[in-house]
This record gives sequence, C-alpha cells and structure tokens, in this order.
Amino acid sequence: MPGSIEVRGLSRTFHTTVRRPGLAGTLRSLVNPERVAKHAVSDITFDVAPGELLALLGPNGAGKSTTIKMLTGILTPTSGEARVAGVVPYQERERNARNIGAVFGQRTQLWWDLPVRESFSILRDIYEVPKAEHAARLAEFDAILELSTFWDTRVRHLSLGQRVRCDLAAALLHDPPVVFLDEPTIGMDVVVKEQVREFLRHQVEERGRTVLLTTHDMTEVERLAERVVLINHGRLVLDGSLDEIRRKFGSTWQVRATFADAHAEVEPLPGIAVLRKDGPQVVFGPDGPDAPTVHQALKAVIERYEVTGVAIDEADLEDVMRAAYVHAEAV
Amino acid sequence: MNAVRIAWRVTRLNFRAQLEYRTEFLLMIAIGAIWQVSVIVFATVLLTRFTGMGGWDSSEVLLIPATRMLAHGLFVLFLGRVHGSGRQIQEGRIDIYLTRPMPVHRQLQLEFFPTNAIGDLTVAVGLMAGALSRSQLDWTPGRISYLVAAVIGGMFLEAALFTAVASAGLRYPAADYWSRWLEELLGTFGSYPLNVLPKAVGGLLTYGLPLAFVAYFPAAVLTGHGHDTGVPYWLAALSPLVGVAAYLGSRVLWRWSLRHYAGIGG
Amino acid sequence: MAVLHAWRAARVTPLGELHAPPRMTAVLVRLVVQVILVASLWHGLYDRTGTTAGLSEGQAVTYAVLAVLASRLRELDQYAGRDTVLQHMHFGTIVYWYLRPLPPQRYHALRALGEQVYGFAWALGGYLVCLAAGVVDPPKSAAVAGVFTLSLLLGQVVLYNVMLLLDQLCFWTVRNNAAMLILIFAQNLLSGVYAPLWFFPDWFITLSGFLPFQATLSVPLSIYIGRIPLSDAGGQLAIQAGWAVALTLFTRFLWRRAARRVISQGG
Repeated sequence: MPGSIEVRGLSRTFHTTVRRPGLAGTLRSLVNPERVAKHAVSDITFDVAPGELLALLGPNGAGKSTTIKMLTGILTPTSGEARVAGVVPYQERERNARNIGAVFGQRTQLWWDLPVRESFSILRDIYEVPKAEHAARLAEFDAILELSTFWDTRVRHLSLGQRVRCDLAAALLHDPPVVFLDEPTIGMDVVVKEQVREFLRHQVEERGRTVLLTTHDMTEVERLAERVVLINHGRLVLDGSLDEIRRKFGSTWQVRATFADAHAEVEPLPGIAVLRKDGPQVVFGPDGPDAPTVHQALKAVIERYEVTGVAIDEADLEDVMRAAYVHAEAV
Repeated sequence: MNAVRIAWRVTRLNFRAQLEYRTEFLLMIAIGAIWQVSVIVFATVLLTRFTGMGGWDSSEVLLIPATRMLAHGLFVLFLGRVHGSGRQIQEGRIDIYLTRPMPVHRQLQLEFFPTNAIGDLTVAVGLMAGALSRSQLDWTPGRISYLVAAVIGGMFLEAALFTAVASAGLRYPAADYWSRWLEELLGTFGSYPLNVLPKAVGGLLTYGLPLAFVAYFPAAVLTGHGHDTGVPYWLAALSPLVGVAAYLGSRVLWRWSLRHYAGIGG
Repeated sequence: MAVLHAWRAARVTPLGELHAPPRMTAVLVRLVVQVILVASLWHGLYDRTGTTAGLSEGQAVTYAVLAVLASRLRELDQYAGRDTVLQHMHFGTIVYWYLRPLPPQRYHALRALGEQVYGFAWALGGYLVCLAAGVVDPPKSAAVAGVFTLSLLLGQVVLYNVMLLLDQLCFWTVRNNAAMLILIFAQNLLSGVYAPLWFFPDWFITLSGFLPFQATLSVPLSIYIGRIPLSDAGGQLAIQAGWAVALTLFTRFLWRRAARRVISQGG
C-alpha cells in the first residue's frame, strides 16, 4: 500500500552494561560485565492508513523515538515487523529513504555553513528530483511557511523557528508519501507553531501524505490528529480517536446543577456520582469506567431532576492525557 | 578565600570525573607526554644536526625548549582551558556561566581537569633537569630565581595570547581557528634562538606575536647572549614581567569583550 | 543524476568557504605568514651548516614550504561547517546520513573529494607564487614532476583514508578523544609535516617505514626534492599503493561496522 504504515508486534531491546562502583567493581565489570536489558519498545502493533495523520503520544522515555527510528530504518527491531509504504525500512534502508521524510525535533539536517537554498539544492540532487518539480514544490512550501524571507541566510544565522520550518520543507521536498515528525514544534512560538500546523494540515489534506507525529503539545494533537496511539514503557496503551481517549480518561467532567427544590432527594444516576451537595447546589461527576460523556450526563441530570441552572466543567486534553499517563503508569 | 575553596573543590571533582574513565585518563597523560617528547626529539634532532645554531652552544639552546615546555605545562595545568574555549562559546556555555555568581573566566578554567598536563609537566621537568645538568652555567640563587620567574612569566604570556584569542572568540566564533594556529606557532618557533631568523621575522615574533619573551629572551639573558637578541638588554631581561603584564592586559580585554558579548545566535 | 549529487556534495566546502570571506582571508594570511616563517627558519638553521641528512639548504627549504602548502589540502574548516562525524554524533544529526538514499560512505567521500580539490587549488596557487618568488626550487626534470604528481595523488588517497579513520573512530568514541589526538598527532609527526623525516634518528625512520603516515606527505615531497631518486621511486610508489588499497579495504569494513552500530544503537 503506498503511504501506509503497518506495525506488527514491533519490539526493541537495548543491552547496556552496568558500571559497578569503586576500583574493584570496575575491574569486576571488566572481567564479568553485568548486562542489563531495557525493553524500549515491546510488542507494539498499529496501522496508519494512507493520508492519515496519527499522533504517537506518551510521556518522555515511553519509546516514541525508538519506534520512529525503527520505522525510518535507522534502527533494527529485536523482533516483530514493520512496513512503510510496503517496504521493510530496516531491510531496504535506501528504498525506504525515498518514500519517507523525517524531522527529528531540533536536530537539523541542513548544512550549517550554507544558505538554506543550497541545502535544498543538495537534497534535490540526492533525491533526484526534477528541477521544475523542485521549484514548484518549493514555491508551494514558501506560500505557507514564508521561507523566502530567509532562505538566502546561512543556517547558522537562522532562528530556531526559521530553521525548523526549513527542516520541514527539506524533509518534504522529494514528495515522500510518508512523513515522520519527532516533536517538530518543540520550543517554537505560537505563531510559528500555527504556521507549521497549517502546513501539516495542508500536506495531509491536499497532498494526501501520511504523517506520524510525536508531540507533547496537546493543542497540536487536537488541531491535527483524529487518531492517536498512546504508548508508555514501550507498550501500546491505547489506539483510538481523540473522543475515545476522552471517554476513557477524560471523565473528569463536573456538572454543577442548581436544584429548584433545595431539599430534593438526590440519588446517583447510572455512571454518575454525586460529588457534593450544598443546599440547592449539587455537583455531579463520573463514576466508574462506564461513565457517560459530559453531554450524556447533562441530559440525564436535566431529565431526572428539576433544575434551574447548570454549568459544566470539562477537562481539556492536557488533563485527559495526564490522567491517561497516570493510568498507564498504574497498569 | 571562599573562591579558592570552591575552585579547589571543583578541581577535585573534575579530577575524579577524569578518573572515571581510566583508559581515557591514562591515554590523556600519554598524549601530553608524547606531544612533549616529540618536541624534544625534534629539538634534539635539530640541535645535533645544526650545531652552533645562532652562535649558541647546544647545551645553551636546550634551555630554550626546556623553559618553553615547562611554561607550557604549567599553562595547560592552570590556565589552559582558554585554549579551545571556542567550543564552549559556540555551545552557549558562556550564557550559562554568565548566570552564575562566579567570574566567567574562572568557570571556564574549571570546566574540566586537564589530565594531559600531567604528562606535559612530567616530560617538561625531565627536559629541564636534562638541560640544567648539561649546562655549564654557574647556577647561583640569582640565576635560579630568574629561571623560575621566566617559567612563570612564560606561562602567563602563553595564557595572555590564548585569552586574547578567546576574547575575540566571544565576538567572532570563527576566531577558534586562530587558536589552533597560535598553538602551532608556539610549538614550532618557541624552541629556537630566534636570531637565526631574519631581523624582520624575528621582530614579528617579538613585537607582533611576542613568543620571543616566553623562552628565548630569558634563556639569552641567562646564557650571556642577552646583548645580541635584537632588542634592548633591559627589555629581554624584563621578559617575566612582560608575561605578567600581557596577562593582566589580556584579562582587561576579556572583561571588555564579555561586556560586549551578544550571545551566539541559533 | 548521480553526477549531480556528486557535484552538490563535493562543492559544500568550497561554497561554505566562499560564503565566509573572513575565513578565506584567514587562510591566506596564515599561509603567507607560515611560508615566510618556515622558509626563514630553515634558511637560518642552514646558516652554518652545509648538507646534512642528505639534504642541502635548497632541498630542506623546498621540502618545508611544500609541507606547509600541502597541509592546506585537508586542513579545512570542516569543523566550522558542523559536518564532521564527531559533531554529527554529538548533535545527534548523524541519523540524517542514514535517512537519505545516498550511502553515508559515498557522501563522506564526495565531501572529502571536494574539500581536497578546493584545498589543492590553494596549494597550487601558493606553489606557483613560491616558485615565481624563488622560495622553492622547481623539480629537477619532467620525469620527477610526473612521478611526484602520481605519488602525491596516491598520498592523498592514503591521507583521505587516515582522516576517514579518525572520523570513523567517532562512531565508537564520542567522549574519548584521546585516541583521536594520538592519531592526529602521529599523522602530523610521522608524515613529516613538522620536519623532514630524514633528520630523525635511524630507528625513527625505520619505525615510520612500517606506518602509513609517511606515504601521505614525506614520500611525494622527498621525490620532488630528489631525496628519493627516481630509481628508488618505483618501490615507494608500490608501498603507497599498497597502503592505499589496505586502508581503503579497512575503512570500508569499518563503514559496515559503523552502520551496524548506528542501526543497533539508533545514532
């Protein structure tokens, strides 16, 4: 499938030697090194459809970068299998390289001493992109990312925001069907972030590219991703839509109702608990794993009781993710 | 006094940090030693090939590389981190230093322990012992104190040159390039009686890049060649003070450059 | 298309230099000053001595000046361009080398080729000026010039591989630069940059005969000044070629190991 990503039971274990303290320990480590296995990624399975933008989420050290490295062909998995646009990346690295573009956070692939446009030219020739096509694509990228204002500057003199925009363009110049972005907007200001998001949305919606994105910015996830994969400690915790995640972990909503009758008897509803009661003010919250969404709860409360006013507090995605990470930690 | 205590404590920690990587530690000592040995091989090769260099007896010439290398070893040990500061500047370490309540120059010096200085100094001491044992001079207390002063002055002069380059590096990161050349020049031309060179070139190495003051002038004064160095005798004799003055001047320049430090973009 | 990317990668260094005029000025100043200093030092040393170690004054000065010029061939500020393996390992950008449809070893070779050709332009310019100014002697005959050129070329192949070894070492020892310093140092001392190897004691010359470093510089320069007569040149060229082949095979093997290391550690 062009542009699809298939991941089946992907695992990666790193072996490190532990240093024992002291001189005797050092000598012992020399003779008999103590090897420790770290399971960076274990048994992860998911798919990304062509033209889909998937956010790969998880706390620091969860195994996101290791996963991306395996999918870009830099790292070989210990077990399991992955296919990117039909190619097994770590077996056919160069063939895979033509199908993918990648940006690793603040690490730049541009040539430090040259004007940005020269870097673009070098990449054009490395990826063998026809000149006219290159020019057209550059113009398209420029329209959104406003690169032409600084693309004659040497990379060493660019600001972070400018450099990352250039890196994004550099990664997409050869028209790859699949794009990997490892925290692309880290450390950037809101204006640039918005520009980058617009660019990504355009690339997914208009150009049909498949994008796998890792980020810690939940606004970004909300604006860009319909689907997320959540991993923690190298394991897949959840694969679903944002709504599903909300339903599962975001049940930290509260419904505050003002009752017409301050002395009315209040009973919990299915999946809805009474958190507080203070005269006519009653606060409802979710109860148990099958708690309804905030809207269902609101409906249930209004139908069941006679209320004169309601207000809802819904957890934003940050809170949801916090809950999800904490939950994943407990698993 | 507190500053000394902190410097001592940080140095001890740095030393322990170097010990963490034993192979690296021993290799670094070896490098310091190999480096110096090569200069010695080079110098002795030339001494045996070209006897009577510049009208100097070969035992007298030997005093020049001995002084220069001992001064260099001390420089590496105490003040050597200004050399290679370009990297710290480019990586934005200076910005971090500026936020701490300790002079930036000192923090720069305390960045790591110069393990190679151990090798440097061992060999330099050996060479100096060799030079002194072969010397036919009468080593009076006066001569000995002058030699000690010359070594310390030489250390300061080398530090002054590298501090000046580091100051330029605060403004132009590319200045790092010059520090590599400077090291090469000191190594290549610091060990000869400079009167073998044409007057103009000797003048350049006296007034342009003042490496003649590190070892050549003091050795000339000690061995009685002080009157034919091409500079007034009193100037040659004042070499140790020239070193100290140059270092103080370079620190002023460093402070000035630091005030005008604009940070590294990108 | 392969020609195109080769051209692009090769011209990175010259282009970077052209975009940094102060750096070019620095190179010029350094080259001029260094040539003058080295030439006057050797003239000064020979002041009271005739031929020593089989080298006359003219030969020694020519050797020393050519060594200064030749050191320009690969002493470029690639470091300033942040394109050394050491820096890519340090900044974590080595991954991009393995993300492109261009093998890292070919990219590295192309970059070095461009760098060496650019450095050669400097060295050649400097040589012509020195020749015109009478600082260096011309080669004794056209045959010497020809053999020298061949030997210089072989020397550059050996030099490329030695420098590549240094770079490849960084795949294993990012922190440990001690070994690197030793190699750099050995390259400078044993290739005869500091002084012609002929001046050193016999044991030293014998020792360096077993190492590849003298093949980079000492051999071609000795052929140029006639210290190695044409009758002996054939054997020396064969040794150079032997080193070129052996080191090429070894560095190729190391590239494979490096790739495996990147693939197992993730860069």
